[in-house]
Amino acid sequence: MRLIRNKYFQYLLVGVVFLLPVIIRGVPTATVTLAASMVYTAIAALGINVLLGYSGQISLGHAAFMGLSAYLSAYLTKQMDLPFLLSVLIAVLVPMLIGLILGAIAVRLEGFYLAIATLGFGEILRQLFIEMDWFTGGFSGASATYPKVFGHTMSKNEMYIFMVCLLVVLMMLVYNFVHSSSGRAMIAMKSSKTAAMAMGVNVFKYKLTSFAISSVFAGLAGVCYVHFFRHVDPSVWTAALSLNLIAIVVIGGLGTVGGAVVGAVVMHGLPELMKGLPVVGEIPGVPLLIVGILMIVMLIFYPRGLIYIPRDIKNFFQKRASRAKKGEA
Amino acid sequence: MSQVLSVDHLSISFGGLRAVDDLSFHIDRHEIYGLIGPNGAGKTTVFNCITQFYKPDTGEIRFTDQAGKEHLLNGMPAHKIIHLGLVRTFQNTEIIRELPIIDNVLLGAHTQFHAGTMANMFAMPWARKQERELRKKAMDVLAYVGLDKIANEYAGAQPYGVLKLIELGRTLMCDPSLIILDEPAGGLNDSETERLTELIRGIARDRHCAILLVEHDMKLVMSLCDRICAISFGKKLAEGTAAEIQQNPLVQDAYLGKEDEA
Repeated sequence: MRLIRNKYFQYLLVGVVFLLPVIIRGVPTATVTLAASMVYTAIAALGINVLLGYSGQISLGHAAFMGLSAYLSAYLTKQMDLPFLLSVLIAVLVPMLIGLILGAIAVRLEGFYLAIATLGFGEILRQLFIEMDWFTGGFSGASATYPKVFGHTMSKNEMYIFMVCLLVVLMMLVYNFVHSSSGRAMIAMKSSKTAAMAMGVNVFKYKLTSFAISSVFAGLAGVCYVHFFRHVDPSVWTAALSLNLIAIVVIGGLGTVGGAVVGAVVMHGLPELMKGLPVVGEIPGVPLLIVGILMIVMLIFYPRGLIYIPRDIKNFFQKRASRAKKGEA
Repeated sequence: MSQVLSVDHLSISFGGLRAVDDLSFHIDRHEIYGLIGPNGAGKTTVFNCITQFYKPDTGEIRFTDQAGKEHLLNGMPAHKIIHLGLVRTFQNTEIIRELPIIDNVLLGAHTQFHAGTMANMFAMPWARKQERELRKKAMDVLAYVGLDKIANEYAGAQPYGVLKLIELGRTLMCDPSLIILDEPAGGLNDSETERLTELIRGIARDRHCAILLVEHDMKLVMSLCDRICAISFGKKLAEGTAAEIQQNPLVQDAYLGKEDEA
C-alpha cells in the first residue's frame, strides 16, 4: 500500500501502462502511433503545467517551440549529420534561450496581454517555418529518420519506448521540482506576488525559470515528434496546438504532475474512441462534437481536473464506510 | 542604544495626495515600536516605503543589520530586503492558500535555501537534507505560535486568526532583527488578541528582535509598545511612551476631534 502511494512508483506504473502496446503482441501499429501522440503531447503539457499550473504564467506560443525543436533536430541529424544526442541538446537549448527572452517579456506583461504577446510570437515563428525553405522545407516540410544512438538505429517501437522513458523521467523531475524550495517559491508567486516578494522570492528569476523549463519540455516533445513520425511540416505547430496544451492541463488537473498525462490521454484518446462507435462514429464531425460536449461536462463537474476522480471516489467510499459504522453504533 | 531602523524626512505622494509628509522616526534594537493614527493616516504606506514596495519621493531609510552594518534601503529591490533581517506581515494577510501551513512558513526561509532549479529537479541529497533541516525549524516555529498540530493542513481552509499566526510564524524563519507587523490583531477576538500580545512580547524578548507595528487595538498598543508614534495625514503628531501619547492633546484631537468642532 505504501509503495502504491509512492509517486515515483506511480509514474513508473504510468510508464508500464504506456508500454503495453509494444509489449502485448498483435497490437496494431496505429495504436502505437496514437499512444506516441499521447506521450509527446504529455511531455509538452507537463512543461505547460509548470508554467500555467505552478507559476501562473500563460503562453500560446509553445507549439512554435515544439516546431522549432522538431525542425532543428531534423536538420541537424539529417543535413549536418550530427549525432542524435548532440542534436537533441542543441534542439532543446535554442528554444530554451528563446523561452528566456519570452520570460523576460512576461515580467512586464500579465494575463491577457501575455497571452496575446506569446500568440503573436508563436505565429511569427510559424511564418518563419513556412518561409525558411532551406531549413524547414517550406509547406511540404522536412523529413527525419529514427534516431541512431551509439551505432544502433532505433526501430519505431524502440523510439516509442525511448519516449515513454523520457516521459517518466520528466514526471519525476517535475515532481521533485514542485516539492522543493523552487516549486514553493513559484506557487507563492502565483498565489500572492506580494507575499513572495516580501519573503525574498525574486519574481523575475522564477518567471524566467518557468518559461525556460516549459520551453525545454516543449523542445523535447518536438524532438520526440519528429523522430517518431519522421516528418514535420508547419501545419502542426499552430496556435490551436498551444490552446490544446492548455486545455489538456486544465482538463487533466492544473498544478498536478499527473494531470498533464491524464489530459493528454483523454484529449487524444477520446476522439479515437468516439470514431470507433457504431453509427455516430461514422458521420464526419460528430465524434469531435461529442468530445467537445464531454469536455464541457467534465469542466462543469470536475473543474479541478480529472486527476482528482480517484481521490474523490476513495473519499466517497470512506465517507460511506464511516457512516455505516456510525449506523451500527 | 543602537538603532535598527531610522527613517529620515520620508515623503511620498500619490497624484496630488501627500500620503506621508516629512516623517522621521527611529527604532532602537529590541524595541517594540507602535505606529498609530486614524484611518487613512498613511501607516501602511510607511510600511510599504520601508520594505520598498513603494519608492518614496524623498527621505532616507536606513537599516542596521545584526552584524552592525548600515544599509540604505532606498532603491533596493523589494525581494532583497528580507536578506538583511527585515521582514513584514500584511494588513489583510498574504497567505499562499494552496500550500499547507508548514510550506507557508517554509516560504519565510526561502532565502536560506542553497539549491537552484537543477539541484531541486534532481533532488540532490544535500538539497533534500537542507529541506529537512529547515522543515524541522519550521515545525519548531509552528510549535512556538501554537500551530504544530495542524502543520500539514491547507492554509486556505483556516480561519482568519490562524492565517494571522501563520504570517507571524513565517516572519520568524529568517531570524529577523526587525519585524514589521501590519495590524496583527485586526479581525481577532479578545482572547486571540490577548494571546497574540503575549506572543509578540515573547518574540521580542526571546529572539532579540525589534518590532514595528501598526494597530488599531489601543489596548494592545498601549500595553505592548515601548514607544509610540502617532501620525495623522502623513505627518507626525507626537512620539513617546504610552502614557505620554495618551496625554497628548494633539493626539486626542486627531482621534476624537477638536472640542470646538463638535
